[in-house]
Amino acid sequence: MTDRDMIVCRCEEVTYGELTDTAEKFGCTSRELKLRTRAGMGYCGGRTCRSLVDAIALAATERDVTQITLKYQPPVRPVHFGDLGVITND
Amino acid sequence: MRDLIIIGSGPAGLTAAITAAEHGLDVLVLDEYHKPGGRLLGQLYEEPGGTWWNGIEESRKLAERAGVLGLDIRLGKSVHNIEQVNSSWLVHADCETFEAKSLLLATGAAEAPVAIPGWTLPGVMSVGAAQVMTNVHRVKPGKRGVIIGVNVLSSAIAMELKIADIEVAAIALPKTNQVNGSASNPTEVMNALLHVSHMAPSLFVKMGSKLMKNDFMKKMGITFYPKNGVRMWDIPVMLRKAVIRIEGTDQVEGVTLATVTADGKVIPGTEEVIGCDFVCIAGGLYPLAELAALTGCPFYHINELGGFVPLHSQDMRTPLDGLYVAGNITGIEGAKVAMSQGKTAALSIAKDLGQDIADTSLSEAVRQISSTRTDAHIQFHPEVDAGRRKLQEYWDLHDAEKRKVMV
Repeated sequence: MTDRDMIVCRCEEVTYGELTDTAEKFGCTSRELKLRTRAGMGYCGGRTCRSLVDAIALAATERDVTQITLKYQPPVRPVHFGDLGVITND
Repeated sequence: MRDLIIIGSGPAGLTAAITAAEHGLDVLVLDEYHKPGGRLLGQLYEEPGGTWWNGIEESRKLAERAGVLGLDIRLGKSVHNIEQVNSSWLVHADCETFEAKSLLLATGAAEAPVAIPGWTLPGVMSVGAAQVMTNVHRVKPGKRGVIIGVNVLSSAIAMELKIADIEVAAIALPKTNQVNGSASNPTEVMNALLHVSHMAPSLFVKMGSKLMKNDFMKKMGITFYPKNGVRMWDIPVMLRKAVIRIEGTDQVEGVTLATVTADGKVIPGTEEVIGCDFVCIAGGLYPLAELAALTGCPFYHINELGGFVPLHSQDMRTPLDGLYVAGNITGIEGAKVAMSQGKTAALSIAKDLGQDIADTSLSEAVRQISSTRTDAHIQFHPEVDAGRRKLQEYWDLHDAEKRKVMV
């Protein structure tokens, strides 16, 4: 197995080759790279591959130190749809 | 309504909870793990002078004190969202919502991976996972392991595995690619290690770490670094060999190592396979700030602190009313620094809620954070002080802007 075939995002099965090709072709930011490939958009919410996707995008773009790359959105943990609708104040 | 909710029951969260309860606040602690202690639970190392830091014992002491104070600590609760509504904080955890006047985020750090072909095989785990299996669950992750990534955390855990009688065949670098960055560069890794040379004297005695302050000597040091590594606690630390592939069909069976140049390029023809039944990947730690990021709190990327950190003051306040941070969410440092930050945060919270906290006790707590930092046995980043100063500059800037708006 080479780097190119290596899976980077396990949830969406996105390979290193797919990510580096896309980053090179479009000069992507992390967010654009995520949206084009779906890396980091799976079940785990990017908790495993976030720093790797970020590193690939940083090869083509400058880091903005004031903007968190790959925005966090709720829910930040997997949660049942049913539980999301329930409000139980203790 | 409660005075305070603390998310995270590690060294920062528990110390804050104890301090807050001692000052009469009504506190709820939430943690997604089933035991209190956080990353403390895995820690076991010898301090200068020969005493041992036993994280399980430290967590037990904190939990015991929390028990005496009758603190409400709920475990196995994952917080998936937080929001500020009408000057109170709502914390959504699984199917329950809790409410308090103030919120302290003490969520700690997460591990960054390194990516090597084969890293998705069963038997590959983060080095922190191997630590938790070994020290918390008392389950051996395997019989013989290889650790990929040479840094403070991986070296400390290698020693812990050794104490548990688990063979570590090698600690080696990851191969160079676009995601492994400076972790795969022998010269940079050696420079980083020189700052912690007191932790592993045997590794540097040969090279003379004082001489290594000079750039030319560093270059010579890495050029002549023994190809088969230098033994530390009898584990070969390889700065001139990188793992280029993790081998195995259905699970880990070994790794392929290759000799690399001083800047990390593989020298063809030097590949060799060594057998092992588990592999640890160690890309270092970064502040786990996802919940803070949901609040709109400003963030800054500071390398010396391990990544993006929420803007905060020395007394652990964020720019948002009623939101505080402590521990590794503010930057990667040791447990003792986290504890002193937790105490400081609790004093700030008590003061903001109208408790009688003397300015001197708060400033003493802030001073305690820096003296703990100075005395720390383990420094995750050699320039952590510079990182803290950068953050303070951002805070001052933010504060000045705020004053302008108010005038």
